[in-house]
Amino acid sequence: MTTLRHLRAEDRLPEEAKPPGGVLDTEELTGRWLATDHQAAGVVRLELSRRDGALFVRAFGANGAQPYDWGEIEAMPYGSSVVATEAMAFSAIYDFGFLVTILAAYAKQGILVLDTFNTFTDSSGRSNYFSREFFHR
Amino acid sequence: MRPELDGAAGPPVTRTADRPARGWAPPTGRPIDIRPLLGAWVNYDETSTGITRIEIGDWQGCPTVRVFGADRPAPIDWGEAAGAAFADGVDTVEAVAFVANYHLDFVTVILAGYLNKRLLVVDAYSAFTDSSRRVDSFKRDHFYLP
Repeated sequence: MTTLRHLRAEDRLPEEAKPPGGVLDTEELTGRWLATDHQAAGVVRLELSRRDGALFVRAFGANGAQPYDWGEIEAMPYGSSVVATEAMAFSAIYDFGFLVTILAAYAKQGILVLDTFNTFTDSSGRSNYFSREFFHR
Repeated sequence: MRPELDGAAGPPVTRTADRPARGWAPPTGRPIDIRPLLGAWVNYDETSTGITRIEIGDWQGCPTVRVFGADRPAPIDWGEAAGAAFADGVDTVEAVAFVANYHLDFVTVILAGYLNKRLLVVDAYSAFTDSSRRVDSFKRDHFYLP
């Protein structure tokens, strides 16, 4: 029997369990998510879709009646364990040239919780900042 | 509408939150104050199968992160990684969150943590890069300073 390398107990497979491998079911994530806060100053909408076995995210930033379209990028899906079959979280990275934004999100009971970690690479002097936002379908 | 990349009305933005609340005053350029993050954080859940302890240190104003993963008979020391600190907004400097990445030859882990009152919430996004066919997974743990 081969011992899998691990960083913590949860990396190990449950006894006699076989890793499912393959592609995670992303149904819990895909769709159009709207910020629960109508006055949100951060991300106001997320569109998650699946294409050719990959997960994609398209984010929209708050800007009054005309949100900024950040464009679509590939996202990385995650399950709740090493033997999960359904995705419940994702990460993605936008590089705007002057700003790098990491999206880190998970879905729970029909709500999507999005954390963003924003690093400015220009000389504007703005502080790198964190945000936490909530979305519903 | 595309993000304002030309900076015509001030530095470029991707959302309202990228603009300082007080308008485009001369930037402070002050570094993030990482002191709220520093310390040896212990998992509230002693039975967690994720991370048991996180030590966040200060290296010239930047956070360093050392993680200990739950295992028996002893936790696994992941070693030290450079982190990045984040404030609550573009015109504040007190750290409220951090990110650190671990790149090992069988797994890559993004650690994304934030302070919630006196609690440190840490999400681990783990992607396996070996041939074990384990599923990439998400795990959340909560920590306190003893």
